[in-house]
Amino acid sequence: MKEATLKQILVVTDGCSNSGMSPVAAASLAREQGITVNVIGVIDKSELGEKGEREIRDIAEAGGGLCDIVYPQQLAQTVQMLTRKAMTRTIHQVVNKELKEILGDSGIEELAPEKRVQVAGMVDELGEKSSLNVVMLVDTSGSMKPKLSAVQQAIHDFSISLHSRSGQSRMAVGSFPGKHKYLDIRIPWTEKVEQAHQITSDLAMSGITPTGPAIVEAIALFEQVKLPQSLSDRYASMEEDDDHNGSLRDHVF
Amino acid sequence: MTITTEACVTMSSKVNIPDLPKYFQGKWNKKSYHVLRELGRGANGAVYLTSQDGIKRAVKVGIEGIDILMEVNVLKSVQQGRDSRVGPLLCDVDDLVLNGKPCTFYAMEYLDGEQLDHYIQRAGTEWVTVMIVQLLARLDILHKHGWVFGDLKPENIMVTQSDKQVRLIDFGGVTKLGNAVRQFTEEYDRAAWHAGDRRAEIGYDLFSTAVMMVRLMVDKETWKSSLGDPRETALLCDIIRKSDRLYPYRVSLLKAFHGKFATAGEMRAELLAILRERTVAAMQKPKRASKPAGKGISGLFVASLLLLAGTLYYAWFM
Repeated sequence: MKEATLKQILVVTDGCSNSGMSPVAAASLAREQGITVNVIGVIDKSELGEKGEREIRDIAEAGGGLCDIVYPQQLAQTVQMLTRKAMTRTIHQVVNKELKEILGDSGIEELAPEKRVQVAGMVDELGEKSSLNVVMLVDTSGSMKPKLSAVQQAIHDFSISLHSRSGQSRMAVGSFPGKHKYLDIRIPWTEKVEQAHQITSDLAMSGITPTGPAIVEAIALFEQVKLPQSLSDRYASMEEDDDHNGSLRDHVF
Repeated sequence: MTITTEACVTMSSKVNIPDLPKYFQGKWNKKSYHVLRELGRGANGAVYLTSQDGIKRAVKVGIEGIDILMEVNVLKSVQQGRDSRVGPLLCDVDDLVLNGKPCTFYAMEYLDGEQLDHYIQRAGTEWVTVMIVQLLARLDILHKHGWVFGDLKPENIMVTQSDKQVRLIDFGGVTKLGNAVRQFTEEYDRAAWHAGDRRAEIGYDLFSTAVMMVRLMVDKETWKSSLGDPRETALLCDIIRKSDRLYPYRVSLLKAFHGKFATAGEMRAELLAILRERTVAAMQKPKRASKPAGKGISGLFVASLLLLAGTLYYAWFM
């Protein structure tokens, strides 16, 4: 059970999508492939509006993830918290499913609280040890411009959080809309983001917000995660005897 | 793969926890609670003041049961020695049904008091060191049980009304030593100050403690001006240098900023020694200026030496 890899897409946006396929459909597509979609709405002076709020909520729900709406100052903290909580939730769901198979239909809810406390401790530990791959998708349409320095700081900050985990962590950052595509990869898969990285430079300024297509392109990124040699060896050897851990990987992968 | 769809959870902006009914009973342990009022909201849930058989209890209810259960896990482990008054005593863990959905809650001892910064504001800054010393004793116990508090801030520290004891509340950030800190607040976070990462180490809590000590000793304007960008501990050193109240503790604070204390007890002993020395000195020479020039320069020298040592240490460490 130790070697699960959790996959997440984190969308940072400030409004509604207005181009391409529905982001809610894209999120459910991601979830279908074992990728959780979390969304953070960044607001400034102006509110998101009911429509924007609903879209954020719907994307997260379809993507099996969590969402929050915050001011730019809270962004760094929120990114870390949302990611961690979504991880816990995914693992909890997997553990719960295993328990249901053992205990019958009821699952964890039918365990006495004392027992569930022990399960919680186990879930926490699994969350810390498992591998985590996160693609952060940053909306860089016109209205996001004043918030991008906060986003940039949050990216660096998130890298520190990931680096502090015991499990393997990797992140990539993309911005949408891209120059010629829906999504531009600003930071390819990495274990540590240098602070100097400028996400604000060389942006395609445009009024369109193709959130849905960006999510679809981000899904493809997960097929290109290259493992370091030492790790891929470990994984290869694991696959041979994965009787006891295969079940979890099936759910999470 | 069947995953039950749950409503999306919003957190720091608006925690939407459905209101508790006025009376409720736990499903397993059958204890009955009378809800009196809401006490506050954390990232994991809301806390209510209740009465259970005439005894006041604080009840925490969360949207995600697993987060609540993780807090219970920590509270339980800390309570193995019953005299260790680190946080509130855990009294009950159970489920209640809210809008047809099972919801996990736990009840704990109700601590009557006020949060640390409010207390200092009312009682005066001479209490700061006294409270920090107490806090370090609590942290020392927590650390010895293998936990790091993580989200240390005045809002998560309570001073009890009756006996002026410091108690930690909100265990949502408490993390096993060596893991990644579960929850933090940037103002007191070592990584946000560019002084290290977010691995749960004793030094992480001691860093927050030192920042908190600075924050509690100075007025709000001075504090706000220090929260510049980029956030660096040099800004805190500036405040310490300019403050007569903080200056005597400069070496200890700097050591905490640079992770030089092995334990909370070590930092506590140093602060206590300085506090005692200052009290005695004040009695002997009440009129003496607190900051003679010569002392200031030597202090600065020590500070810069420590800074250099810190830099070298980090350079070597990377």
